[in-house]
Amino acid sequence: MLVVLAGGALVAAMIYGAYRNGLWPPLEKAVISWSLAFVGVVIGAVVWQLRPESRTGLYLVAWPLVGLVSDFPVVFSASRLAVTLGYLVSDAGVLFIALLVLTYPSGRVTSQLDRVLIWIAGAFAAVYGLVNVVLFDPRPQYDATILVLQPHAVPLTHIGSYDATGIRNALDAVLGILAVVFLAVVLRKLVRATPGGRRVVLPLAAASGFAAAQYLVQILVFGGPVNSWTNDSWFWIVTLTAFAIPASLAAGLLWGRRARVVVADLVVELERTPPGSVRDALARALGDPTLELALWLPDRRSYVDADGRPFALPTGSQRAITVLGPADAPVAALVHDPVLLERRALLSSVAAAARLALENERLQAELRAQLAELRVSRARIVEAGDEERRRLERNLHDGAQQRLLSLGLALQLARAKLGPDANGAADLLQEADEELRSALDELRELARGIHPAVLTEQGLTAALRTLAERSSVPVALGALPDHRLPPATEAAAYFLVAEALTNVAKYAQATRVRVQVAHEDERVLVDIDDDGVGGADPAKGSGLRGLADRVHALDGELELRSAPGCGTHLRAEIPCA
Amino acid sequence: MAVTALVVDDHAGFRRFARRLLEATGFVVVDEAEDGATALAAVRALRPDVVLLDVLLPDTTGLELAETLASEPKRPAIVLTSSRSAADLGPALEQSSARGFIAKRDLTPTALSALLGTAS
Repeated sequence: MLVVLAGGALVAAMIYGAYRNGLWPPLEKAVISWSLAFVGVVIGAVVWQLRPESRTGLYLVAWPLVGLVSDFPVVFSASRLAVTLGYLVSDAGVLFIALLVLTYPSGRVTSQLDRVLIWIAGAFAAVYGLVNVVLFDPRPQYDATILVLQPHAVPLTHIGSYDATGIRNALDAVLGILAVVFLAVVLRKLVRATPGGRRVVLPLAAASGFAAAQYLVQILVFGGPVNSWTNDSWFWIVTLTAFAIPASLAAGLLWGRRARVVVADLVVELERTPPGSVRDALARALGDPTLELALWLPDRRSYVDADGRPFALPTGSQRAITVLGPADAPVAALVHDPVLLERRALLSSVAAAARLALENERLQAELRAQLAELRVSRARIVEAGDEERRRLERNLHDGAQQRLLSLGLALQLARAKLGPDANGAADLLQEADEELRSALDELRELARGIHPAVLTEQGLTAALRTLAERSSVPVALGALPDHRLPPATEAAAYFLVAEALTNVAKYAQATRVRVQVAHEDERVLVDIDDDGVGGADPAKGSGLRGLADRVHALDGELELRSAPGCGTHLRAEIPCA
Repeated sequence: MAVTALVVDDHAGFRRFARRLLEATGFVVVDEAEDGATALAAVRALRPDVVLLDVLLPDTTGLELAETLASEPKRPAIVLTSSRSAADLGPALEQSSARGFIAKRDLTPTALSALLGTAS
């Protein structure tokens, strides 16, 4: 408020001064230009009031104010202080334009390039101001150049009357380059913005781009500094540009009213949105395709995505987070383009409209999360079972089997020592040795059934070869993988083939079986075909059902085709990267 | 001159009887080793003519150790053995550079002599 009053007083004083001066500056131009500057101050003050946390309001106020001060020498040309101030800030507008556009909408510098550009603009404004107040003596030049229309007082800090035209020309060239770079940066921001963000950035960016273009026109068309008080077309360009910035921001704020239409559309759309697609509807309504939806699961006190997978909210300034629902019991969180924070009204109305759909979505996600957990735990159980089988096999092998083998060696030695006689003791030893061999065979068979060592040590292909060699029905092995697969997949494929071969031997009356394992397109296909009688019923044997569970635990599918008289075809498809 | 042998197995009981069996066959057992590293050191230090090598060792496999020993300056004749059968061990056994394989339960003086020739 104070700023508005001060701005008003300043403008009034300047208009009065211009009126007193008579010829310069032309009164009607002065009134138009400074009134628009005052409107700019008012708009800036309103923005400042509404969004105190953003520095944009401050910059919006400062920009027309420095414009006014830079007109001091024209109005108060006799005052050395006024002339000094005016000269000092004569190009400070460049700095504020840079700050406004590069930091909009947060008012904070976010990228290194922006920071550098702002520093260059600031340095330019400072050097230009210093050159003016220290070196520029306006007295001898007022009729030699169109820039100074009447004698100005000498600046307080003037130290020598050098012709500063050369330096100022050089600075103007710098300004031209700066304007080009600046335009490129603004364009890049527009191109990179999300559609929703673009809606917010566009009005200001366009106006500011126009301001940068103004500096270019000054240099390229007019060939250097032009005095707007004498040149009518330049006056309008400068004045309207100066006004376009606050005006476009006001337009951007008014645009927020479109939110109501957007929300009405969204409510209709959510009616038809299938579960899992609420994010897409929200992304369209907010115009932010990068939008991410995190759903809060109260039981776990954590966020998940629509598929129930854990979702970590990002940190840092690249993304903004809007939590929907009460802070202690949120429903969901939107992770979005920070620029949407400028459209809080839209954001909160969209969130309110989507509340019910989001509740629904959250329940769905919870269900999916539980399913996913179930799937993982099923796989874990199978894996733990396999591990236990491996351990048992190792224990049998390392323990009982080794002792029996040592015993066998001892019998061998005893026989060698006894020689052929010894009252039939040699025969007894021979019998004991045969008994021992049977025990070892049984033990080995048991261990192999629990978990074959060849599978652990050499993999599926080697294990299937030994299985095929031992099968009572001839087995033709087709293509087999030439690399190792994950242990759970190898175990599932192996036990499937083993069970299938047992069944073939028992029931199928087949003359041959064909076994093939292919690893392609991120899945493993296990095929077992026989030429037997067919008619296998998966509901009958518990062996096959257990194998189906094993395959399902790996997210795979088991398919059995066994029409009577047409042989049996068993196929497992297991996902495998 | 006696033919020297080294027994490599992680089971002390088996090593004990295997030593006696080898000695009964006519070999001079110069040392026993319980794992691959000890076995390699023993081979380098004692240069045995024959190594009776278990396929499963705590720190390596007999198949791998056999390949290492094959590139030693004075390569010993290697007899692989295992509590498992040749069929259980799969195709890797056939590609090994060892002299041969005898399942532990078939380990007799006759089988050893047949594979290595008589020791003395």
